[in-house]
Amino acid sequence: MKQIINIMVAFLLVVPSMAQPTANDLLKKIDQNLSSKNRVFESEMTIHGKRASRTVVSKTYSVGDKQAFTEYLSPAREQGTKMLKLENQLWIYSPSTDRTIQISGHMLRQSVMGSDLSYEDMMDDRKLTEIYDGQVLRTETLDDRTCYVVELIANVSDVAYHKRLMWVDAERFVPLKEELYAKSGQLLKQTVMSEVLKIQGRWFPTKMVYKDMLKQGDGTEFKVLNASFDQDIPDYLFTKAALKQ
Amino acid sequence: MRIAFKLAYRNLIGAGLRTWLNVLVLSFSFVIIIWAKGVLVGWDHQAKTDMAQWEIAQGQYWHKLYDPYDFFTIADSHAPVPEAFQAAIDQQAMVPILVAQGTIYPEGRMMPILIKGIKSDQTLLKIPAYKLDTISDAIPVVIGANMSKACHLKKGDRTILRWRDSQGTFDAAEIEVVEVFSTLVPSVDAAQVWIDLKTLQEKLNMPDEATLFSFGALEHQPAEQGDFLLKTTKDLTSEIDDMIATKSKGQAVFYGILLLLAMLAIFDTQILSIFRRQKEIGTYVALGYTRREVVGLFTVEGAMHAVLAAGLAAAYGIPFFIWQSKVGFTIPMDTSEFGMAISPTMYPVYSVGLILSTTLIVLITTTVVSYWPSRRIAKMNPTEALRGKIQ
Amino acid sequence: MIKFLFKGLWRDKSRSRMPILIVAVGVALSVFLHAYITGMMGDSIEMNAKMSFGHVKVVSKAYAENMSQMPLDLALMETTDLTQRLSQEFPTITWVERIQFGGLVDAPDAEGSTMTQGPAVGMGVDLLSEHADEVERMNLAQSLIQGRLPGQPGEVLLSDQFARNLKVNPGDAITLIGSTMYGGMSYYNFIVSGTVSFGVKVLDKGTMIADIQDVRLALDMEDAATEIVGFFSIGYFDGDIASNISHQFNDKFTETPGDEYAPAMLTLKDQPGMGQMVDLGAAMGAIITGVFMFAMALVLWNAGLLGGIRRYGEFGIRLAMGEAKSHVYISLLYESVMIGIMGAVVGTMFGLFFAWLLQTYGLDLGDSMKGSSIMLPTVLRARITPVDFYIGFIPGIVSTLIGTALAGLGIYKRKTSQLFKELEV
Repeated sequence: MKQIINIMVAFLLVVPSMAQPTANDLLKKIDQNLSSKNRVFESEMTIHGKRASRTVVSKTYSVGDKQAFTEYLSPAREQGTKMLKLENQLWIYSPSTDRTIQISGHMLRQSVMGSDLSYEDMMDDRKLTEIYDGQVLRTETLDDRTCYVVELIANVSDVAYHKRLMWVDAERFVPLKEELYAKSGQLLKQTVMSEVLKIQGRWFPTKMVYKDMLKQGDGTEFKVLNASFDQDIPDYLFTKAALKQ
Repeated sequence: MRIAFKLAYRNLIGAGLRTWLNVLVLSFSFVIIIWAKGVLVGWDHQAKTDMAQWEIAQGQYWHKLYDPYDFFTIADSHAPVPEAFQAAIDQQAMVPILVAQGTIYPEGRMMPILIKGIKSDQTLLKIPAYKLDTISDAIPVVIGANMSKACHLKKGDRTILRWRDSQGTFDAAEIEVVEVFSTLVPSVDAAQVWIDLKTLQEKLNMPDEATLFSFGALEHQPAEQGDFLLKTTKDLTSEIDDMIATKSKGQAVFYGILLLLAMLAIFDTQILSIFRRQKEIGTYVALGYTRREVVGLFTVEGAMHAVLAAGLAAAYGIPFFIWQSKVGFTIPMDTSEFGMAISPTMYPVYSVGLILSTTLIVLITTTVVSYWPSRRIAKMNPTEALRGKIQ
Repeated sequence: MIKFLFKGLWRDKSRSRMPILIVAVGVALSVFLHAYITGMMGDSIEMNAKMSFGHVKVVSKAYAENMSQMPLDLALMETTDLTQRLSQEFPTITWVERIQFGGLVDAPDAEGSTMTQGPAVGMGVDLLSEHADEVERMNLAQSLIQGRLPGQPGEVLLSDQFARNLKVNPGDAITLIGSTMYGGMSYYNFIVSGTVSFGVKVLDKGTMIADIQDVRLALDMEDAATEIVGFFSIGYFDGDIASNISHQFNDKFTETPGDEYAPAMLTLKDQPGMGQMVDLGAAMGAIITGVFMFAMALVLWNAGLLGGIRRYGEFGIRLAMGEAKSHVYISLLYESVMIGIMGAVVGTMFGLFFAWLLQTYGLDLGDSMKGSSIMLPTVLRARITPVDFYIGFIPGIVSTLIGTALAGLGIYKRKTSQLFKELEV
């Protein structure tokens, strides 16, 4: 989830530009634009299972890219479950067992809450500009919006996805669609973003549908219920002790 | 004593059908026991030969972290091919195999599998790796018949294979099944695809690396070579040994019952002999035989069944054994439904030790059983016996 | 006449005792052998049936397609109802609900943080209810290495090797991390009550066995189960019964065609590798039994022959007294049938008795089989099937009769002059 937020947040752009910008410019502008001290948002994730769909509501506090704390609010089974990410470590606290469990190694490759996302997808907190070289390929119309199609090719080897294609709204500078590719060029995953709203002066896509393209199924739907920036978040939230409270 | 044997022989032959029935049953025991044990040894050989031919050759080296029963070890169990192995690999005496985890998506279903890389020019193992040279715009793979059945992929079918390279980057490509092979070794068949080693090394970004090696004739077999540990044939086939050990124990009971049945016949015959030939016994004693000698005479006569049976068993058993070891023993069942094109055939293997020990066991048992009722003779009153009076 | 002959046999022990004894022993051996072979061939099959496959198994159609992945989201729902219906439809089958699942077992240190972790293959079975027969079925008590069986909710068994890898002992707490049947995260605390070893590498690596109610709570599977496993009351797998039942079931229970969550029944033979094992067992059993029956027929034939020869003297007298040769011969045949029947009855009884002993108590092969990766039973057991009640009668009566008939032919060759020589006593 965090990764989605990262992506989303990374691509919010307020300053419109008339000339076609370079991809790196785009990425940098997105970064600059979104550099808030911290963010707090409540979100709703709907997982379309083979048989039934489930909706999980959570509240996330994050500072920069390195620290994040998520508390699950519903459904009842998940309520009170907390997740803490510090740098590249991840802990989950479950109230029913009163246990703090470190998620590491192979466990990171497991799916989060049965969604099409893995813990690992949430862990990569490097900026896109650091690990990808970008290039604006063309402009295209997507859902009646003019978009820049940005191609990102990894410039480091330890990334999950070698290539990304991103459709960035040319006016509001919000990503509307992203495709993740394997090294071979095979399309693996697709994210479609919509319902772009203005929050605290920023354009914010509040709905994303995340889908594993190789698998049958309807994917995972992610909805931001409310978001706020530059809040007072107490430091102790980002400690293991906070998990148990 | 020679006279005893002569007498015994004449008596037996004179009894005609009765003797021959006994001898036939006894010879049966010989043949069946030797054959059944031979099949078991043959099974053992066949299972081990199959494993050797398809999977382990004369032994393997495993990466120290590799554990085929723990999927989580697989991502980390790979290392560059040790310098010391290179010569053997070039001479086809060693085959490096790289193992990785992957996912295939037949009909949109996700199926976790193992990807095994093998050199397409290898000749050590029976995996049809040469087919991996097939020209195709997809990656050519060969799979086993059981795998083919489980994922509904036939020769010529295509699907997407997804994996992660050494750095965790996702990669995926279309694969084409260029050959489906039939094997009796599930560990090279179930839930795995075989692809060209070079291709896999490239795709995984693990140049010149391997997870394990199967080796043939290898002069030096150090217990450890770099990150790789020696696994001898004995280690790798211990499961077959266990199975055969259980089966032999189970079979032993069967031999016992079969022998018991044969002995029942001998016992019955002996009882009748002693009952019917009291006058003869009396006469022997009257002629100066000690009772022990008379008992000996009857015992020899009973035991001679076993000798005749051995002869008869040899007469029809040897051709049967030879024929069986040539054509093998195929279990009469329909194997097609199990996705196997071949039926497991066991070629019995007979050893001198097996034949000698079986003969000895039958001979000793027969002698004991012949002696047992004969003891009654020692208790007989010779005068009464001479009169043929039933005692 | 039959009564007369019977009396004769009964009173003249030399005429009846030995032949009946031989027939009885031969028949007893055959019955025992057949039961033993059936037991031996079926043992590995039964072991697999009890541990996982059942004789028949009900799963959802979608689950059947993806069985190897243990997909909880494709589990059966409303299983209480379904089990009840199954019990009504097929009352001779014992139905039990089970949940197979995968997950991660996490052992905490003193502070409750992760100390060790390991992947587990879990099984939720009825361990605690009043009529729980799974403990016996899965041979858990005998497999126990440390500690004891779960006695209350929240307790779990781990395979011994797994427990050692995790560095936990009986009494320690562990957490199961898995996903619920709806895909949610699940965490559930257990206390390790004991450790078990099945002598099978795959199972000993990372198995956990818990009461099904705990697993339901843990995985949010209220009134659900991955499978409902059925065991025949006859105690062993019978391919005909199984396919019969599965046809009946699939006709009756599949109300809506195309519903991929509708229950479907699989027989043991449909499970991977088991069909082969069942057929192989049957083929080997038939071959061994056939060979043995042939050998026994020869032995009984010989016994009949010997029985006839025993009575040459008697025939002489009867012939001398003017009895017709054919009459003597026919009465001899009648007697042999009676001997055959009596021998077969006595033999079958003894054979069944010994087979029952081996079926009940088993013959322990010791622990030499530990550590194998295929399920091998370490105790040899016989198994009595209906066939055993009549299998001895065929060779018992027919072979005896043939032997006697051959021996009796001598009657026709008899000359009265020879008779008096034999009577010179």
